[in-house]
Amino acid sequence: MHKIILAGESSILIYFGDKIDPALPENIANFANELKTELYELIVDLTPSYTSLLVTYNLNLTNHNEFSAKVESLLDGFKNNSNESKSNTIYIPVYYGLETGLDLERMLAEKNLDLETFIGIHTAKEYLVYAIGFSPVFAFLGEVDKSIQSPRLATPRINIPAGSVGIAESQTAIYPTDSSGGWNIVGRTLLDLSLNNPENINKFKTGDRVKFYSITRDEYVNNGGQL
Amino acid sequence: MSFKVIKPGFLATIQDYGRLSHGAHGMSRCGAMDEHAYAWGNYLLDNGFNSAVLEITFGSVELEALDDAFIVVTGADLNFRINGNPSVIWRNVQVHKGDIISWNSPKSGVRSYLAVKGGFEAETLFDSRSVNLRENIGSKIAVNDKLICKKSNNLGDKFISAQYIPNYNQYIVLRILPSYQFNEFSINQRDLFFNQTYTITNASDRSGCRLSGAPIAIKRDRMISEGMSYGSVEIATDGLPIILLKDAPTIGGYPKIGTVFSLDLAKLAQKQPNAKVRFKLISISESQSERAKFNQFFGIDES
Repeated sequence: MHKIILAGESSILIYFGDKIDPALPENIANFANELKTELYELIVDLTPSYTSLLVTYNLNLTNHNEFSAKVESLLDGFKNNSNESKSNTIYIPVYYGLETGLDLERMLAEKNLDLETFIGIHTAKEYLVYAIGFSPVFAFLGEVDKSIQSPRLATPRINIPAGSVGIAESQTAIYPTDSSGGWNIVGRTLLDLSLNNPENINKFKTGDRVKFYSITRDEYVNNGGQL
Repeated sequence: MSFKVIKPGFLATIQDYGRLSHGAHGMSRCGAMDEHAYAWGNYLLDNGFNSAVLEITFGSVELEALDDAFIVVTGADLNFRINGNPSVIWRNVQVHKGDIISWNSPKSGVRSYLAVKGGFEAETLFDSRSVNLRENIGSKIAVNDKLICKKSNNLGDKFISAQYIPNYNQYIVLRILPSYQFNEFSINQRDLFFNQTYTITNASDRSGCRLSGAPIAIKRDRMISEGMSYGSVEIATDGLPIILLKDAPTIGGYPKIGTVFSLDLAKLAQKQPNAKVRFKLISISESQSERAKFNQFFGIDES
């Protein structure tokens, strides 16, 4: 089930599965916590992703074979106990309008959906945080209902406004800062997810849940939302 | 004590050893690109290994000392001058209030390091002073910025004997670990990778070094994004390698053929576009023992 491979002169990569699976992010987060507890003095960094965990260790104190053996034995004894999980649900208000949802008009036409139905589908699910990456506070959320999935734009946009909510295939995400990118933009939140507020660094963790809810244009604008 | 920025140059940023422990937050490792020159700079001032320095890329930088300071310049030879007179690098020097120190343009190498006694006192963000422009953490230096440090005086001459000063014009062979998807590349494709001479392209920066050459292929349709270690070598859709450097994204979905040894990445950091590089294999034990010696010499401790 588990596989450890070499990643660098002071890092290994642990695979927990070979397919995207909603059970994995929490499983990986729990194992990351166990590593932090059991091998505290050896761990430099932990980078979880969909099916894997990149572990960077202090090579002054150990070496590849010794460290891999320690991790292997922890993996053998690892029982994922989901009762101990500390996953949260984060609620994100979104204005799904044609001014903020830069690709909405095109997507509605392609999918043959009206706006209300589209919003209903995007807000119906609690999405799972599969990974954090691309840039800080950027959470890869899944999985988007097939009826509103859409491939990345052929030519990425140069500037997507901060707070934009995008869809790429089965994933959805919020751009925390102004950024370039190729996701289909369907709306915008007025929450500041940038590192201007340093606490945002812990806004999302892999294994957390995210629920979008729709706000009106007035609610968006009256609370400082930019169009 | 501080230095006032008269000319900010193309790209000069404060860097320390790096932002090592925020991978889970999607933050790159950051830190000085040439760890060798960086570590010597702090060593020659008896600084801690994590003291912040100014990393100057390509030059065109001019600073005014607003007080006396004890400094070291290491790394690239960018025509470093004090008050217009050529000055030594790889050796600590005293500068005085009102002195103008400048870096003009590359004579050899591309990244020069200005270390000051005690390190620059830039703001610590997420446990590091390193600037990461891609992540909007900090900014490059701008005209009239003050680069704050402690006032310091000569602590005794310290320098590197000439034989240890690297020659950045030397041809480099990057030693690479057979990591990640190495075994999924066919023997023919690996041979193609190791037997060719690649060229560094213009599209290289602190995030990645992009190479041009003959494309290689991998039989793999879709990869799931996974954590990318410092120095790992992605093979992009066009079959060409990208060596992931200090400001690289933390996760990515291209197959990786291996991971370049960190001290060879230090040498790579001094290469201009159009320079040639080749790859050869290194074992994990050899890379770990060489790096451990480096860490021990410079007092580097990542815990």
